[in-house]
Amino acid sequence: MEDLHQQNFARRLRSLVAKEFNQIRRDRRLAISLIVPPTLQLLLFGFALNSTVSNLKLGVLDDSRTPQSRELVTTLTESKSFALGGVYLSLNEMSAAIERGDLDAGVVVPYDFARNLQRGKSTSIQMLLNATNANTAEIGQGYAEGIVQMYNQTLLNNGQIHAQFARVGSRDLDRRGTVQLIATFIFNPGLVTSWYIVTGVFGLLLILNSSLIAATAMVKERERGTVEQLLMTPASTAEIIFAKIWPLFLLLNVMIIVALFMIKFAFGTPFRGNLLLVYIGADLCVLCGIGIGTFIATFTRTSQQAMLTSFFVNPPMSSLSGALTPIEAMPKWMQPLTLVNPIRHFSVIARGVLLKGSGFEALWPNFLALVILTAILLSLSVWRFRKQLG
Amino acid sequence: MRRIFAQTRKELTQIIRDRLALTLALGLPLALLMLLGTSISLDVSDMAIVVQDLDDSTASRDFIDSFSASRTFHIVAWPSNRQPEDALRDSRARAALIIPEHFGRDLARGTNSTVQLIVDGTDSNTAKLVQGYTGQIVRAYASQNSGALRVDPVTADVRLWFNPGRVSKKFYGPGIFVLGLSMFPPLLAALAMSKEGEEKTILQVYVSNISAHEFLLGKIFAFMVIAIGEWCLNCVALFTYFGLHLVGDPTPFVVATILYTFTVATFGTLIGAAIPNQAAAIQAVALGGFLLVFLLSGLIFPVANIPASFRWVSNIVWGRYYIEIVRDALLKGGGWSANWFSVLMIAVIGSLFYLLAWRKMRRMQLAA
Repeated sequence: MEDLHQQNFARRLRSLVAKEFNQIRRDRRLAISLIVPPTLQLLLFGFALNSTVSNLKLGVLDDSRTPQSRELVTTLTESKSFALGGVYLSLNEMSAAIERGDLDAGVVVPYDFARNLQRGKSTSIQMLLNATNANTAEIGQGYAEGIVQMYNQTLLNNGQIHAQFARVGSRDLDRRGTVQLIATFIFNPGLVTSWYIVTGVFGLLLILNSSLIAATAMVKERERGTVEQLLMTPASTAEIIFAKIWPLFLLLNVMIIVALFMIKFAFGTPFRGNLLLVYIGADLCVLCGIGIGTFIATFTRTSQQAMLTSFFVNPPMSSLSGALTPIEAMPKWMQPLTLVNPIRHFSVIARGVLLKGSGFEALWPNFLALVILTAILLSLSVWRFRKQLG
Repeated sequence: MRRIFAQTRKELTQIIRDRLALTLALGLPLALLMLLGTSISLDVSDMAIVVQDLDDSTASRDFIDSFSASRTFHIVAWPSNRQPEDALRDSRARAALIIPEHFGRDLARGTNSTVQLIVDGTDSNTAKLVQGYTGQIVRAYASQNSGALRVDPVTADVRLWFNPGRVSKKFYGPGIFVLGLSMFPPLLAALAMSKEGEEKTILQVYVSNISAHEFLLGKIFAFMVIAIGEWCLNCVALFTYFGLHLVGDPTPFVVATILYTFTVATFGTLIGAAIPNQAAAIQAVALGGFLLVFLLSGLIFPVANIPASFRWVSNIVWGRYYIEIVRDALLKGGGWSANWFSVLMIAVIGSLFYLLAWRKMRRMQLAA
């Protein structure tokens, strides 16, 4: 008897799964939505979001007009960080240019620049930065200070400087040594922004697209009124739900593979660690997404309502994830909220494994969190779905 | 004229009766502005670093103190028998500072000492900032400890204009403000228009004596009203929570706002007319309103950073011009001389959308 029951169960499930697969196969829009959105999102985000600050347009107001001041200006504009944006004769003209947005920065060399240097007096140049974009200004300031530092070094080294600086710069004086800092970048020595962006967008697109696809798939039976027919069959509600989720899950694996291919071949991201770890993480993400989508579906009656509802869920999920902007930049009280976000944990996994070559011993807390979140989201949505079916 | 207003009134009544639509129109954009405006920032603080002190002298501890005293970093413990790179690999820290042996002795002797900083380059922007911050701390330490004797011939006196506190909120707030305005009014407009197509109520319009222009303008005005309502609500948030205020001549901002609400309402109507399927129309607006404006308008990173092969697209992204105007009106105050081109471009793109929507209507009418 027990055996017969088992057999029946397997048969029912098989036919239900086959029915779902048939439905999916006939829906060409679904197949397209598995491939087109992830490809487009990765390409757009990866190419368009570029944080490199270079060639800031620098206006020059040189009141000194001496070989020394020209050398300083050349040192500034020859660097990749700044590019000469124009030479101005008055501060008003240059400020107007900064205001219009023609310039990102301006440098003012005072009239007594060379004289001070020759007399051994320390002199300062004024650096005006358009700080509308706080990040660019911050990095631009770092560049400017670094370049001026470099200019000082050359002044001290080639010896054509007033004795007072030379005395201070020389070693034989009884003074303490200075600290020099050498910074090296590991994991991404070329500081390629797209590697960071695509490994973050990966999790984002998995969650957003699988929740959207799941929501529309779940709501479809209700929209068409075929749920009643399903309930008439001998299958239990648990079987119906499992049969719905399983094919979706398999299908969404296509998306994972498409995304991994794009990350590897379109952006040349290094795959340093164990790819299986990323894959498992991505599968957990897909399950989370299905959970979220199913949950949304239980609140809505039509597919466009489901899509509109996702507008309430997606923005907080993607902005509180650390996928595109660093978590440390969020206000303190907001940071703990990211812990319940699967995207956050997956982007740590994807970046850790792909870019840094981290192993499971470093990433297990993130996997644990993903498993817990998946379990909660899936059981919550299944519980709501069952209640509605019953 | 009377027929246009009748159409507008009918649209508005429909939206007010739909609770989901009303929240989408007014509640969600405000919530989005607050949430994204607060959470999107690149200005990192309190980052974890590990320190490997191979010297362990008073001087080196003094040096480490200058890091732990900064707001930018906090030092996390890391066993001295493990490689500091491992801390970066395990994502425990953003950077590792390695102080060499004899650090204190060298300094006391007047020899320079080189401190190594290993930065996790995964997040390239943050890595750059870490480098800049540590440079500042080290320079401050150096000038403090060498006393009055150390004089730099040239120093850079940096003045930050327009946003001296470098508050990220003031930069991203206006961007998100434009993002909301580019997404929700067209979404509703597209839904309303594609619904007419889906439910075939558009046929009633064809048989009535309302002309294509009157019908379109009526619809567009309705969603302009929605957009302006959203605009007012979000402006209040910008002026209070984000601490922004109008700088300089506000007329370009006002004119651009009216043109921009027209443009987005027309964009939505155009999408709805072209795609008579609500679910597909939502996706199209999400692509045009959200992705394009979010990615190709300089909202997060400057447009100039986009690779040249891609950058031309941003010239036709309407949100880009409005973001420039809003940021100018709230931070810089460049007036008409700085903004006339952006205002013009919004007008051009808006009229283009209107022309396309009108042609689409005419063709549908002929087909029906």
